[in-house]
Parts: sequence; C-alpha cells; structure tokens
Amino acid sequence: MTLAIKVKGLSKSFAVKHKKTGFLESLKSLFNPTFSEVTAVHPIDFQVEQGEIVAFLGPNGAGKSTTIKMLTGILHPTQGSAEVLGFNPWQERAKLAFHIGSVFGQKSQLWYHLPPIDTFELMSRIFELPRADYLKRRDELIERFELGALMNIPVRKLSLGQRMRCEMAAALLHRPQIVFLDEPTIGLDVVVKHKIRDLIKEMNKEEGTTLFITSHDAGDIEQLCKRAIVINHGQIILDDTVSNMKRQFLKHKTIHLKLQEVPGQFNVPGVKLVKQKGAGIRLSVDTSQISIENVLSYIVQNYQLVDVTIEDPSMEEIITHIYEQRREEVD
Amino acid sequence: MNTLSAKSLFSGKAVKYLSVGYITVRNNFVYLRSFFIRSWFLLVILFIFVQLWRVTYQGEGNEVIEGYTYEQMIWYLIFAEAIILSSPRLPVKIEEEVKKGDVGYQLTRPMSYLLYHYFSYLGEAYVRLIVNIILGSALGLVLFGWPRLGLGLFGFLIVSIGSFTVNYLMTMMLSLTSFWVEETRGLVFVYQKMLFIIGGLMLPLEIFPGYLQAISEWLPFQTVAYFAAKAGVHFEWMMIAKMLLIQLLWIAILSFLLRVVYQKGVRKLNVNGG
Amino acid sequence: MSTVAKYIRFALACWKLNLAGAMEFRLSFFMTAGMMIINNFVWIFFWQIYFHRFKLVNGWDVSDVMMLWAVVAGGFGLANVFFGNADYIGNIIVTGQLDTYLAQPKPVLLNLLISRMSVSALGDVIFALLVFGCFGKHTWSGMLKFSIALFLSMLIFVFFSVCVQSLAFYVGHSEGFIGQELLVTFATYPTDIFRGMTKVVLFTVLPAGFISYMPIGLLREVEPLFFGAAIGVVMLLVFGGTALFYRGLRRYGSGNMMGMRM
Repeated sequence: MTLAIKVKGLSKSFAVKHKKTGFLESLKSLFNPTFSEVTAVHPIDFQVEQGEIVAFLGPNGAGKSTTIKMLTGILHPTQGSAEVLGFNPWQERAKLAFHIGSVFGQKSQLWYHLPPIDTFELMSRIFELPRADYLKRRDELIERFELGALMNIPVRKLSLGQRMRCEMAAALLHRPQIVFLDEPTIGLDVVVKHKIRDLIKEMNKEEGTTLFITSHDAGDIEQLCKRAIVINHGQIILDDTVSNMKRQFLKHKTIHLKLQEVPGQFNVPGVKLVKQKGAGIRLSVDTSQISIENVLSYIVQNYQLVDVTIEDPSMEEIITHIYEQRREEVD
Repeated sequence: MNTLSAKSLFSGKAVKYLSVGYITVRNNFVYLRSFFIRSWFLLVILFIFVQLWRVTYQGEGNEVIEGYTYEQMIWYLIFAEAIILSSPRLPVKIEEEVKKGDVGYQLTRPMSYLLYHYFSYLGEAYVRLIVNIILGSALGLVLFGWPRLGLGLFGFLIVSIGSFTVNYLMTMMLSLTSFWVEETRGLVFVYQKMLFIIGGLMLPLEIFPGYLQAISEWLPFQTVAYFAAKAGVHFEWMMIAKMLLIQLLWIAILSFLLRVVYQKGVRKLNVNGG
Repeated sequence: MSTVAKYIRFALACWKLNLAGAMEFRLSFFMTAGMMIINNFVWIFFWQIYFHRFKLVNGWDVSDVMMLWAVVAGGFGLANVFFGNADYIGNIIVTGQLDTYLAQPKPVLLNLLISRMSVSALGDVIFALLVFGCFGKHTWSGMLKFSIALFLSMLIFVFFSVCVQSLAFYVGHSEGFIGQELLVTFATYPTDIFRGMTKVVLFTVLPAGFISYMPIGLLREVEPLFFGAAIGVVMLLVFGGTALFYRGLRRYGSGNMMGMRM
C-alpha cells in the first residue's frame, strides 16, 4: 500500500499580537505591537495510507484546522515536513489542488440561487476536466447520489440533506484522491445522516478515496472510520483504531428518563445516577457491564415511563476522558 | 512543454475564469428585480442634477460649457453614475473572507484567488450596469429624445472594462488591508469619495480649476467614472485609444501592487494565524 | 417636581445612556462619526468647485449653499442623535416591539423616539458646527438665527418621520415608507433650482423646501412670510404627527390593526 499522507515533525507557531485595552494603548499597539509566540501545533507525526478513512478529532482550537491547512498547502509549517500524494503541499499547492477535494458541512460551495448543475459545470472548468470525462463522471455521480431530480432546481429550494448530497457529488467530480470532510452530517436528521454516511463509505470502497474526516458527531466516527487521530493542545494524544477507542472510551451511554412519579433508589450494577430532579433523571450506563437493552427493560418493568432518550457521550466528553487518562499515565 | 499543450493549458485557464464570470452573471440575474427597485435612488439623483444643470445653463447663457452641451452634461452624469452604482460591494465580502479564513478555502482549489474575484466582480458589475443604463437611458430619452451620441454607447462599453478593472484593483487592495487592520470601512470610504470628486463623478474634470485638473490627470481615479462617461458623450477614436492606454498603464501598476499586498497578506496569515 | 421637568430628566438620562453605549466601541464610534464628516465635506468640495466656475445659481451664492449644508446636516444630525428612532417607528410597530414601550410608565412617543442614538448623526452635528464656524455670520443675531434654523429643521425631520411611520398603524406594514433620506436628498440643493410641480411638492408633501430655504428666508434676512410659514408647518407636523401616532396607538391597543403579527 502506498501512503497518501506522510507527516513528520510538523509544527506551527504563530506570533500573536497582544490586545491592549483602552483607546490610547490600542493606538500605540497599532504602530508598535508586541508579539508573543503561540504554538498551535507541536511537532506531530502520522501517516495515512491510501484508501483509509481517518477521523481527525479534537476540541475547537486544538490545532485541527491548522493541521489541515498545512496539509492543503494554505499554511507553511514552522518546522517539519509533509507529503500529500507525493507533493509538498506548501510548495506545490496548485498542483496538489487538482487531486484533493473538500466538503465543509457549514460552508457551501454550491451557488445558492442556481441549480446544482451550474456549480457542477463551474467545477469542471475550475479543475480543467476534459469535456467527455466530465459528462461521464457527472452522470455517474448523479446516478449514485440519486440527484437526477435535483439537478435543475435552484439550491435554495433544496432540503439540507439534498444539498449535502449535491455538495459531495460536486466535490468528487474531479476524482480527488483525498477528500477532507469537515462536519459532513452537521444539522441533518438521523435518516439523512445514515444516507450520507453510506454514500461516503461507498465512495471510499469503490474508488479507494482516502478520507480525512473531522466531526463532533460520535456517530460519524463510529460508523465511518477505522482509525482515529485525536489532537489536543497541538499534540496527538491518541492514534488508534476506532474499535479500540470505542472499547475504551465509548462505553458510556447517557439515558434521560422522565417518569410518572418520583422513583426510589436505583440499584443496578453498571448504572450510575448522574442527576435527579423530581421525576426527571439522568443515568450513565457502563455498556461493558450491562447492555442498554437490559437497563431499559429493567426500567420498563419497575417504573411508569413518560419519556426516554439515549445519548452517546459527546466528542468533547470522550476527548476530555482520553486526555485525563493520558495525563494519569504520564503522572 | 510543447506548444500544443501550452496552448490548451492557456485556453483551459481562460475558460476557467470566464466560467466564473458567467456563473456570477447568472446568479445575479436572480437579483435583477431588486436591482431595479433599489435603483430608484439613481433616478432621484439624476432628476435633481437635471434641475441643477438646467438652471446653470440658463444662468450661463451659453449652449456649451467647457465642451459639454446641456444634453451631453446629463448623459455624462448618467454614464458616470451607472459605472459607480454598478461597481459591486467587494469590501464587505473580502473582509469577511479574510476574517473567517475563507481565503484559505478558496486556496484549496486550483484557482487564483485574485482572478476568481476579478471575474466574479465583472460578472456582477455588468448585470448591474444593464439595469442602471436602462433606467438612466429611460430618463435621457424622456428628456432629450433619441440621444445624439454617435458611437458613444460603444465607446462607453469599451472603456467601462478598464473602469471596472481599475476599480476592482483599487477596492481589492484596500479590502485586503483587513489582513492587518480591524476596520477597513474608513479606507474604502475615503477611496470612494475620491472617486466622487477627483474621479469626476459629480462634475466632469473640465469644470475643475486648472491645478486640480492637473493633479487628477496624474491619479488613477479619473480612469474609472470620468473616462467611461466622457467616452460615452464625446466619442472619438484617438481619445478612446489614449484612455485605454492610460487605463492599461494603471492596470499594470495596480495589479503589480495588488499581488504584492496579497502575497504579504497570505504570509501574514502564516506568521500570525487567522 | 413638575411633569415637564420629570420628562426632561428622563430624556437626559436616556441620552446619557445612549452615548455611553456608543462609546463602548470607541474606534468604531470615531470612525463612523468621522466618515460622516468626510462624506459631507465631499459635498462642500463639490459646491466650492461649482461656484469657482459659475458664481451664482438662481441667486444663491456660495455662502448660501454652505449654510444650506450646515442647516440640513445640523438639523438631521440633531434629529438622529436625540430622536434616532423616528425612522424606525413603522418597523417597531409592525414587529410588535411597541409592547416594551407600552409597558413602561413614560409617554410612549417620547420614550420611543429617544431610545436610539445614531452615531453617524453626531458626525453631522459636528460637521454643521464646523461649517458654521467657517462660513456663518458670527454675530449674536447670526448665531441665534442659526440655532432657530437648526431647531426648526430638526423638528421637521423628526415629525415628518413620525407622520409617515405612524401610517404603519393604519396599513399594517412599513415597506416602501419614505424616510428622512429622501428629505435630506432634496433639502441639500438650493430650493430655487426646482420649479413647477416639484416646488409645490417640496413645500407640501415632502417639506424639504422649508429646510432648504432657511439660508435665504431666515439666515440671510428674515422673510416674515417664509418664517411664519415654516413655524406653521413645524407646528402642523408636531401636532399632526403626535395625533396621528396616538390615534393609531388606540387602534393598536384595541387590536383593530390590519395584518398584525401576533
């Protein structure tokens, strides 16, 4: 297998201007600013093989987007080297750009007032695709993403899910070898999320596209990625398979309950009462000790249930957890 | 590289940016109705200036003032206002892209950021220009009947390309200062006011006192509204050629400067972060 | 304490608060005000060039037009510094934000008008004073007349808006309402360049003429007919606007408004 991304000792620090308060001070700093160095990314190493689906995780401000910006050639690193598809991203950005694609859940590249077909056309020009290739590829993607009926409707009239499908198809027109996906399922409902994830998986399987995914949705990671890289404070704190990560960190689920009456004691092993407010209850379930199914049937048998929701722990919680554990190991 | 692939490479690039222009034209056609509605202000301003110049020509007692008849003066204002009012509001967009880091997002495509915005600027400008010219001409037709401008409209359109290009280069350069300063509104605002006065939007430069005319001739501002409007009312091959040459000169100088500013900005992004 | 004194104290407190709020963003504050001053000076420049070449426009000379700008910018500026909400009344009515004001134990119209301050309008006021400083008559009577002109034009701006915007009570929307912008646009040119119907309009429906003729009919020399008419128009606008507003308010209270968003 060949490598899609090879990163060695890559680091980035910024000179950040001190913000001054007060009018005179801010005027002074306009002409004579004081800087301090802030390290956004400490030297990091990792490799991604072609065809892999990797989750790139971390809280906001952890260095995620700085790393991606370096990998796409937008930012020059302070030190270290990176090779993406055999290119040096910041020296050969324009060449690399022909081979990578990006989908940003919160930033549409579709023209809002025009039907998707027009954006597709523009993309074909931007990536300088030969006409015949483009048409063939377009029809192929239309079929796979089931866009036939949507192609001539102005984007503003499409639902969020339909828009996302068009968005992805547009990003794939030039057969990118690596696709950077940022929050690809944000704001979508459960059914559509599944659909989008299926499409992402399919595209990876059939075209061997390498996928680099950032997401706050634990479901995205669980269902899409084989491997996860977690970054915090500019350092990689975990680089492991998702199944390992799950075994270690995704074993808690939260259950919100609303009961008819205020209940007595909960005495089930593996279930922890987190919060109780009258008949509203939050439980934390350790799924390595007891299955969700068993917990639910226990509740149904013993209480009068009004409402129930089950939640995965948020990405933030998982990362905090990982981070704390790493620190304990070090100490 | 052999010549054939070099040629196809060039046409690939050209087609790329032309499609950017084309798609902005199509996108802006959606706003056509609102452009018309918002352009009532153009008619108000022109109406007032029609009154002002009518009185001025009466007071002067001459058919011609500094080479302009009353009719030509009004058409001059129609053309000049059309150029200025059709220029897209770039600064807001660019400032947002710089602040939110979208500059980078554009960079991940095989496309030049500056050229992308240039062609999308032109696309929007010409859709707006159609609206403003239709409205302004309607007023001109009502007042004076069929305009006696000869090839004026043709001259105006030719020169307008350079006008929008210079305006784009200047506006983009000022907008990109948002890499360094919090507020670019002030700078852009002052620039626009310069276009109004020594750019000849409010008065043809011929009306100016001699020393101001001399200063204006050495500045790029005249190449935007004044050149296009004058080409519209005084069509003359030699004059048009001279205007195009001066525009070209400024375009060369300004695009060089813009490149420098842009590259410095991107480097700043690298040093200081978004 | 008398009611009037209480209202004045209330207004002063409100204005102080508005100013403090604006000063929170100081750089933006100075910039916005400064930009308005530059914007107006562009027009001073325009007229200077114009008069450099033409000397007179229908009897108006350069100092008349300078005073014209001082009166319009000053009146508009004062109106929008102290009664900055005037042009937003229609929108406030339609979107149901009036309820906040109705719930407070202060006169609704006054409370409404003074609860917004336009920072750029402060630039207009400064500009007006600068222009008066450069081109005005610096005698006691000159200053008195200028103050009267500012006061009257301020009232015209504010209560023209009150009249127009109160219509929102009756028609149920505020789209397409003309604002002070149009009044300013017509007021900043010598009244005498207009003739016929336009002139009639400027002294009736769109009372810009009463503002723009101040330099001739009040500052240069008091023309009793004009001065009297101007005071009459101001009174008409103030009382008419107030009546229109409170009559509309009764409709609002009784829920008889058309197309209200509840």
